[in-house]
Amino acid sequence: MPATDPAVRPRNRTVHKRLWVRFAAALVLAVAAIFPLLWMLSGSFRKPDEVFDPSLVPAHPTLHNFSYVLTQVAFPRYLLNSLIVAVVVTVVALFFHSMAAYALARLRFPGRDTLFVMIFSTLLITFPVILVPLFLIVHTLGILDSYAGIIIPSIFNAFGIFLLRQFYLSLPKELEEAAIVDGCGYWRVYWRVVVPLSRPVFAALAVLFFLANWNAFLWPMVVTTNTDLSLVQVGIAAFQQQHAADWNYSLAASTISALPTLALFVIFQRRIVESIKTSGFK
Amino acid sequence: MGISRRSLFGAGAGALAAPALLSGCGSASASGRKELVFWQFYAPTPVGGSPDVVKQSQWFTKMVDDWNATHETRIRLEYVTVLGNPKLATAFAAGEGPDIFLLSPGDFARYYNGGVLAELTPYMEPEAVKDFFAPNMATRTADGKVYGLPMEIEPLAMFYSEPALTKAHLAESDLPRTWDEFLDFGDKLKSRKAPPIMLPSQQGYYQNFTWYPFLWQTGADAVRGNTSGFDSAGAKAALKLWQDCIQSGITPRTSPVPDNDAVAALGNGYGSVSLNGIWTVSAFKYRKPKFRYGVFPLPIPAGGTPKTALGGWAFVANARGRDPETAAKFCVWALGSMAKDSIQRVVDWCTVAKSDIAPRASALAAGRRAGGYDHPVMKQFADDIFPTGRGEPRYPPVVYKAISDAIQQCEFSGADPAAQAKLAGDTIDAYLTSYRGVKIL
Amino acid sequence: MTDLAVSERAASEPRAARGGRRLSRRSRERIAAGLFLAPDVLGLALFVGLPMVVCIVLGFFQVDGFGGYTFIGLDNYRRMFADPLFLGSLKTTLLYLVVLIPGLFVVSLALALLIRQRFPLVGLFRGAFFAPNVISLVVIGLIWKFMLTDQTGFMVRLLGFFHIPSPSWLGSPHIALWVVVAVTIWFAMGYYMLIFLAGLQDIPREYYEVATIDGAGVWQQFRHITWPLLKPTSFFILLTSTVSMFTGGIDLLYVMTSGGPANSTSLIIYYIYEQAFVYGEYGYASAIGAFVVAILLVWSIGLFTLTRGGRFNDARD
Repeated sequence: MPATDPAVRPRNRTVHKRLWVRFAAALVLAVAAIFPLLWMLSGSFRKPDEVFDPSLVPAHPTLHNFSYVLTQVAFPRYLLNSLIVAVVVTVVALFFHSMAAYALARLRFPGRDTLFVMIFSTLLITFPVILVPLFLIVHTLGILDSYAGIIIPSIFNAFGIFLLRQFYLSLPKELEEAAIVDGCGYWRVYWRVVVPLSRPVFAALAVLFFLANWNAFLWPMVVTTNTDLSLVQVGIAAFQQQHAADWNYSLAASTISALPTLALFVIFQRRIVESIKTSGFK
Repeated sequence: MGISRRSLFGAGAGALAAPALLSGCGSASASGRKELVFWQFYAPTPVGGSPDVVKQSQWFTKMVDDWNATHETRIRLEYVTVLGNPKLATAFAAGEGPDIFLLSPGDFARYYNGGVLAELTPYMEPEAVKDFFAPNMATRTADGKVYGLPMEIEPLAMFYSEPALTKAHLAESDLPRTWDEFLDFGDKLKSRKAPPIMLPSQQGYYQNFTWYPFLWQTGADAVRGNTSGFDSAGAKAALKLWQDCIQSGITPRTSPVPDNDAVAALGNGYGSVSLNGIWTVSAFKYRKPKFRYGVFPLPIPAGGTPKTALGGWAFVANARGRDPETAAKFCVWALGSMAKDSIQRVVDWCTVAKSDIAPRASALAAGRRAGGYDHPVMKQFADDIFPTGRGEPRYPPVVYKAISDAIQQCEFSGADPAAQAKLAGDTIDAYLTSYRGVKIL
Repeated sequence: MTDLAVSERAASEPRAARGGRRLSRRSRERIAAGLFLAPDVLGLALFVGLPMVVCIVLGFFQVDGFGGYTFIGLDNYRRMFADPLFLGSLKTTLLYLVVLIPGLFVVSLALALLIRQRFPLVGLFRGAFFAPNVISLVVIGLIWKFMLTDQTGFMVRLLGFFHIPSPSWLGSPHIALWVVVAVTIWFAMGYYMLIFLAGLQDIPREYYEVATIDGAGVWQQFRHITWPLLKPTSFFILLTSTVSMFTGGIDLLYVMTSGGPANSTSLIIYYIYEQAFVYGEYGYASAIGAFVVAILLVWSIGLFTLTRGGRFNDARD
């Protein structure tokens, strides 16, 4: 690794200057990106009748919204539900999709390309039109109004298979071939060689899967009736009534529910960017 | 954010009596008594919330507890958020609609035509049927038979902010009574740099709901029997009025607050006047109790008749549910019987849990006696505004959309009102030739 | 570099030599493939494939949403192509995508290139770009609706401070769609930036170092190193972003514009949603959904063919 370590790069003024230009540009863009969210943040500290005040900073900031959302409403329960669903779906999906992607990228069998096209085409359907048939299927399986009913259908989405297949196609084959020569079966090759190499993509997909399931709204709302099973977005929707809404609570709850995924991202983003691939093996 | 008034459910109670539930509610009650499910967006409320939300939830739970104590078949309340339209629609499409639920006028035609509404008249005393105010009841009946029992009446009017008017040196006597005065009033507000008049601008059922009274005031109507009367001078004038408001800048094109939230609009100084509904009274009471506001009836065109629209939801029973008869009996017992508790329940909903006009004459009278309409704004609604009301139409989606497009095109694209009225009229006519279903009101 | 054929023979020979019960490599490969694919294929078939088939079938029926099904053949499709609202939403959607997809691509790639390497606080910057994606679209819609309101909206006042006059951003039919595009780019840029970051990892650092030593400038490095080696990722993002933007994002529309003003932001997804859940026209909505699948299939197959199935085994070592 030493030869490729950026820390060993020749230090000169051009590199420094470029770095600081990047830093400045990133700073400006980051502020621009975050800025609109400041209203959400400031709204979570406002009293109900001040939520729509034109000012950016609340006149009488209060922590009441947060304490209310966390203690008077079953919001911690919703956070837990979202956590369960998001974690289970992410782990199982990564496992299933990487297996399938490996088979599609590396193993040869008749009909492989047709199968891939069919799998890919499941991405092309828009969810509202399959909601009712899916509901019927889940009802027939007897898992309506349960964690299983939320989790199981959410696992199967071709996006991850597609991305992982792309990734595996572009992996150099040497390590796998070496393993095969050593007499490994396909499972060992997958588990011992391919999976460790997948770290950056797994990290990226973990964040994306987690986020998608954490914030899921339409399917969880339709498949469950028991409010104990609500995920965070379904729970937040309850702050809206017919003619009014407790936007202050809604925004506070949204702020809270944004934190875990953001934290996950910040932790995982290093892994995504760490290069574990170098050109050429010894 | 214009939460569609029609969002949230439609049909029947979800009998999600799937056998192998891994967690969540048990479907069949433990004691073995039959159970019917009632889907609504009030109870049991998962958010502690403002006192009014709590009161509304309590009203429902008390009602159901009272029923369960005296009847064999239990009713169970299931809370579905106001954004739960897909949930209800999916349940029905899958044949799993709830046994009892709330229905908005706009959805009535679809559910009735689909054959999922149970008739309630067999379980009602004739007196009770007459007790309900006809203009509001009309959209829940078909061929003289009752299919839904309104729980509330929500008339529309113009709300104004006293501080804003004072600052603009305007008095109550300046409040407009005619369309021309209305436009002048808006101009005055504009020239005195006061916050503007706010009319709903977001495309959708709610905007249509608030616009219909202006059409009706001219004497025109969107549907008359088998033809559309939309291509008329009246429609053109009503479209032009709203167009003038936007194009001359006396109404903003977009609103920072949801269209149906007058408290946020007036209370934060975004508007001096807001076209809104009676629910605003309760909203002010709980969210900005010290704010001084007033109300005046919708202005009318020269030679027109005062008219407003009456919104509000109704209890309905799923004719394809597990026990339509009991479900229907429940609806009648709850809101539509001449028994004192039934009437009192309506009074409690309309004057305690919410601020609405009672849908029944006996309940309105009882409410007045109990002081529920003593607040000057409520009094004005009950005495002056409500009598001019006509029920929110139950137009099928094609009709709704044709009118919505006309309104939006005139307001935002500056289209010619006459042309738009004709276009919408033609679309509605074309639709009506093949429409088979309940009379469109 | 090992010769695959040689290693194959080497791997299979000892096994074949042991004779009898051992399966041939090809059979083992097929069985392994079957086992690897089984969970996903079964799951997708049951939870997506089957509903899709139902959807396509329903497209030939008039469905009243309460259990009434009437076979009407191609009537839904005939209706679609005579329906000004559908055709309008199709046109709006295409306009929307033509600007959104390239815009999103460029922005997320630029961000990924900007922050792919370490410098102080880079993790926080990446988090900042990703943050909009973490918030629900309902809240996003609310935020922007509030900030862009005529005269009182914060953005409007900010621009006014710099003497930039604002039109009615969300109240003008010819501007509202571009506002939706801009907000969508802002929302989704972190998502695709993340995928680009993962893809950029395929490019060994030495290439850049060698190029720098040889005196190549930033732009030349991009053109000759980054861009060609990023092709698989670019292809992936182009394809998935088109599909995802065509078929999703309804919450933003519902909250921010409700498809207005005057239908100017009524995208196909919005139209489908309304037909299915507000008007109860499942058959019609299904037909439109099936039509969308067909369009996207053509687009995907076209893209796949142009890029030779997404296999870019060129110039790796």
